[in-house]
Amino acid sequence: MKPTVILFITAFFTGSSVLGQEKRIYRPEDTTRAKELNEVVVTATRTERKLANVAVPVRVIDQRTIQQAGSLRLRDILQEQAGLYMTNGFGAGVQMQGLNPDYTLIMVDGEPLVGRTAGVLDLNRVAVGNIRKIEIVKGPSSSLYGSEAMAGVINVITDNSFKKRLNTSLRYGFGNPDEGWAFPGSRKSFDNIDLSLQGSTRIHKLGIQFFSDANYLDGVSFRPFSTERVPQPIWRLTNQLQLNYLISQRTKASFSLRHAYDHIKQEFAVSNNGVVTSSYGREANKDLNSNGVLVHQFSDKVKTTLRLYATAYNGSQVLKFKEIPDSVYDDEFRQHFYRAEDQTDISWEKATLTLGAGYAIDQVNSTRYDDVNSRKQNTIGFGFAQYEWNPVEKFTVIAGIRYDDNKLFAAAVSPKLALRYTVSKKLSLKASAGRGFKAPDFRQLYLNFTNNAAGGYSVFGSIDAVKIIDELNRRGQIAEIKEDYSKLKQLAPEYSTGLNAGGTYTPVEQLSINVNFFRNDIENLIDAREVAVRSNGTQIFSYINVKNAYTEGAELELQWQWNKCFRVNGGYQFLYTADKTDLKKIRSKSVFTRDENGYSRLLERREYSGLPNRSRHMLNLKLCYDDQSFFATFRAIYRGKWVVSDADGNGVYNSHDEFANGFVLFNFSAGRQFKNGVRLQAGMDNVLNYRDVNNLPNLPGRMCWIGAQFKLIP
Amino acid sequence: MKNTIISALALAVVFTACKKDKTISTPADPNAFKVSVSGKIVSVKNLPADTIVGLVGGQPVGVGKYAFFNLRSNSWVANTDSASANWDLAFSGSTIRINAGTSGPGTGGAFVWVGSFDNLASVPADSVFKTDNYPAYAITKGSGKGWYSYDGATNLLNPIPGRVLVIKTADGKYAKVEILNYYRGGVTPSASATDEVKTSEQRYYTFRYTFQSNGTTSF
Repeated sequence: MKPTVILFITAFFTGSSVLGQEKRIYRPEDTTRAKELNEVVVTATRTERKLANVAVPVRVIDQRTIQQAGSLRLRDILQEQAGLYMTNGFGAGVQMQGLNPDYTLIMVDGEPLVGRTAGVLDLNRVAVGNIRKIEIVKGPSSSLYGSEAMAGVINVITDNSFKKRLNTSLRYGFGNPDEGWAFPGSRKSFDNIDLSLQGSTRIHKLGIQFFSDANYLDGVSFRPFSTERVPQPIWRLTNQLQLNYLISQRTKASFSLRHAYDHIKQEFAVSNNGVVTSSYGREANKDLNSNGVLVHQFSDKVKTTLRLYATAYNGSQVLKFKEIPDSVYDDEFRQHFYRAEDQTDISWEKATLTLGAGYAIDQVNSTRYDDVNSRKQNTIGFGFAQYEWNPVEKFTVIAGIRYDDNKLFAAAVSPKLALRYTVSKKLSLKASAGRGFKAPDFRQLYLNFTNNAAGGYSVFGSIDAVKIIDELNRRGQIAEIKEDYSKLKQLAPEYSTGLNAGGTYTPVEQLSINVNFFRNDIENLIDAREVAVRSNGTQIFSYINVKNAYTEGAELELQWQWNKCFRVNGGYQFLYTADKTDLKKIRSKSVFTRDENGYSRLLERREYSGLPNRSRHMLNLKLCYDDQSFFATFRAIYRGKWVVSDADGNGVYNSHDEFANGFVLFNFSAGRQFKNGVRLQAGMDNVLNYRDVNNLPNLPGRMCWIGAQFKLIP
Repeated sequence: MKNTIISALALAVVFTACKKDKTISTPADPNAFKVSVSGKIVSVKNLPADTIVGLVGGQPVGVGKYAFFNLRSNSWVANTDSASANWDLAFSGSTIRINAGTSGPGTGGAFVWVGSFDNLASVPADSVFKTDNYPAYAITKGSGKGWYSYDGATNLLNPIPGRVLVIKTADGKYAKVEILNYYRGGVTPSASATDEVKTSEQRYYTFRYTFQSNGTTSF
């Protein structure tokens, strides 16, 4: 197998140099940067704006970048973006500007995905084969999108060109974490197969488009002597159908249906002090989204968009235990989300007013709550307004506000103000301030969970906690009521106030340097706290708005188009975070650590590390060669060390605690685009075979892949 | 069961060996029980406090015995003396008893003071000494409540830095104690260590103390 692969790879290189390529005249506007600035983005303002004119930090990842990197899932491509870190627990979540995955809104075509586990929306759920671009807006954006848009918004926009075409692509990847160099069929190697088909056409006034993708990722065993395969063997299927109908010159209707399905075969053994429990079963997640949009242009000035969205997420896990024959673990989580909203844009020569209002219903059934048949429901009525003013071409002011009225908890008001000023052709400046919020999730309101496997502690959601504890107390089953019990009340949303300021400097056409400074102050963070102790000594926890934190830092991005074919992109994020309660404790001199003898001494402020699982430094570098025929990319992702556990036991993360090592990943891809539409590609991810079983359990070792795309109709 | 018995026997052998002659273990052995005195400060290393001998229902257990320690004579006391005033502190797992109340016949007491060991020059005048009143203890049990913090994610227990156990000995004199570590050799295993290591290395106390023999409250 080995010689074949090498031959295949060499074919690309020699092919390109021998056959040469179509000669094209180089024009400055061909630079990616120029193209990018002319790119129209929608997520930042909910209206179509040129990227160059947007007042808030936005990054766009285009289709070509996704294809050339050989990315298959949303996680693959996002991890290569500056300042985004993919977290590991409960799937791959995104950490943006140092905020947890809970606080970034993930949308497909402007509508949110639901079905988060412990706050994390697994980005592997989204296939990227039919994506035209991904827009990433940083900074609180609740003034337009409501809940979850605290750190920012990621909007995945599917291809809606409705050109006549039928394409298929396949990709085969293989790896072997133990032996490093992996070849298919060798012992302990794992496979990754992806097959997709997409087609579109326009018949008269009707545009039709479909996309189907099947992905299989073999399980990999990283841990020696373990039967556990991490990640476990997983099947992912995605189907999407989009229809677009031009009712008249002024009216357009579109409908989209997306179905995604994951099936994970589970077989693992947990050894707890030598007692082995072998579990086997499956996890299945279903995601169904249906989205209808009606756009009507009343006049040149007035446009209205009506959106009807319904989505269902169903996650279930069924496990049996080899050692306990008749026992079954059955976990189910079903979420339904319905939303109707209308947005009207009124444009004048120098201003645009956007007005919107809508109503949403959010429902959850779960075995983790008191009764799987009892449906928990929140309803949200909302309205928003945004005024964008361009008194002169150089200057943009945006002011917006949104009001969300929730049935289950306090209402949220989210304002935003953004400014952009073009100082000169070479320099433009931006600044924005906004407020974001995240509604308490159903788990924090309704969880009813007792962990008998770990000593019998319980966690109750805030709505029922007081009722349950009072009832236990009445029956004499409560030994102690904790101080935090008195703080139990209706949960309030978590808030962030974000400031972003920066600019873009373009000394020459080919070079662009972008800087953004940010600060997010987060209030009211919800934390699980001990509120009571049962007579048998087991603890009872519930959720309270208690924590305040901040994240601050700087992002630096650099794009350099060296010549027509060769391009360099670099990104760097510097990050500071802190739990404000920790800082208060350190200031009041009540936090200690240990010196080299193990003796206690006061912890100094400079030793404080902030929130766990954050790296102070993150770096991305991408070298890209693309002559329209042959292309090659080389990407490096660096993440600095991050604190993982409180080794000195003082309850505050500091430089004396345990850190995970910083690491660098190198990814490489190359391919050829033939004129007849065939694209052949090969690549290698994690070239250095970097692994960290304890801190990065989902990072597979080196993986090689080959792929091809064909046009089935000319 | 057989393993438990063998381990218990092994423990007993270690116990007697240590008791008979502390100098048997070479100073180079970082895992040996050792008491050393430097000025006013006495350092104790590797006092085994009912170390794990096996599993019952998947939970690691010891034989259920306490290690008794006398702060006045700087010595590990035989279990046969448990009903006497010949000890001041008793260790078993993460539980520390004092010689008073439901634990012993002494007139002891204790409370946990927040601050560094060196900064505690004398027992504060407004101090309230508590005694053991089973199932409550003067030195409160539970993560973050008394002297230790337990991390459920890593399965590791560490003494909270900046916690001084202010002790009234069985005969009513004062001592201050700082627990330094809970694992053999005075080093907490890495978070990524196996459960087996975390289990077998735990319940070895390393601590230091100053005892005021003249009965005053200053150290």
